[in-house]
Amino acid sequence: MKQNIHDYLAELEDIPGTRVYTAQRARKGYWMNQFAMSLMQDENRARWKADEKAYLADWPMSDEQRQSILDRDYNRMLDLGGNIYFLAKVFATDGLSFVQAVSTMTGMSVADYQAMMLAGGRSPEGLRSKSSGN
Amino acid sequence: MARITHGIASSHVPAIGAAMDLGKAGEDYWQPVFAGYEWTRRWIRDAGKPDVVILVYNDHASAFDMNIIPTFAIGAGEKFAPCDEGWGPRPVPVVQGHPDLAWHLAQCLILDEFDMTIISALEVDHGLTVPLSLMFGKVDAWPCPVVPLAVNVVTYPPPSGNRCWALGEAMRRAVTSFPDNLNVQVWGTGGMSHQLQGPRAGLINAEWDNRFLDRLVGDADELRHIPHIEYLRETGSEGIEMVMWLIMRGALGKKTRCLHRHYHVPASNTAVGHIVLESVA
Repeated sequence: MKQNIHDYLAELEDIPGTRVYTAQRARKGYWMNQFAMSLMQDENRARWKADEKAYLADWPMSDEQRQSILDRDYNRMLDLGGNIYFLAKVFATDGLSFVQAVSTMTGMSVADYQAMMLAGGRSPEGLRSKSSGN
Repeated sequence: MARITHGIASSHVPAIGAAMDLGKAGEDYWQPVFAGYEWTRRWIRDAGKPDVVILVYNDHASAFDMNIIPTFAIGAGEKFAPCDEGWGPRPVPVVQGHPDLAWHLAQCLILDEFDMTIISALEVDHGLTVPLSLMFGKVDAWPCPVVPLAVNVVTYPPPSGNRCWALGEAMRRAVTSFPDNLNVQVWGTGGMSHQLQGPRAGLINAEWDNRFLDRLVGDADELRHIPHIEYLRETGSEGIEMVMWLIMRGALGKKTRCLHRHYHVPASNTAVGHIVLESVA
């Protein structure tokens, strides 16, 4: 089942509320993601916590990428090429769980988000496709 | 001669590992998650004890950063330490490898036209250690060696479901030509429905997940033809991990029988699915 890459990529952009980690995003976010990886080491986490701005200055990112990280604006970070598994190192260093960090991207409070998950999660109904609206 | 007798699939949610490590498994929230693994823990202690597990998982930006993105990588080292994912390494045993079987698999698979990446120095993350904890519990040493098989499901495109299934089939042929008398299990991990990013995060599709579980059993093979976009639309952006279950299914041969099945929502952001399959033919 071989697929044309252009059709394949176009479909990935058709999902509401979702940024699929395509080559285009991966290339744009290369240094953001590499920065996040650096927080897997204790000594780097200590330097980062001591002075976030100074730590970010060492990484060749755009100003808006740096700002999105300082703001912990995860949706913006995804737009600028971040990937959630890399960015997990940032929120782990902040002491946040996946639920706490992920809920910030949904416009819901942590409590409301957790209640939604306990009630069975978010239904895919109406969220499958931008173009078909199903 | 080595043989593949059983396959296990399971979600590998990091919070499950944390719940075990912090002694929270008995809490009301977690109890129904773990209850579904009790059967498997008993079974794997005696009747179902493997000599080696080939553990299919994905690295979550732990061992592999953006400098290297292997589609299929086989861990051929002597041992694999749990890595620090930002919270410190999980307090679980170091994973012992099986370099003889791993190198045999790599050689066979490459001759069989699967261009594997071979890795000797590899640290493993929750994708690999959480399934071990779920099946074997809290132990001082894992009861058997493990051959890690890491699949890229992070940077697009991941391998197709069909390619994963075919890799499983090739793995079955490769294991069968290994001279030692070994009972080998293949575990497929990750999934089920979940989305960890964007305004659509929290998506769960129990109906789709359960249909997927249904179709792992028996002799049907239509799961191999599900396109990536269906996983993404129906099961969330991280639901794509389920292609890794198809490597396990492909490795069990033409027909399977279900020994045990479990499904629960939620664990953290994720639908937990678990199935134990026996190879029938």
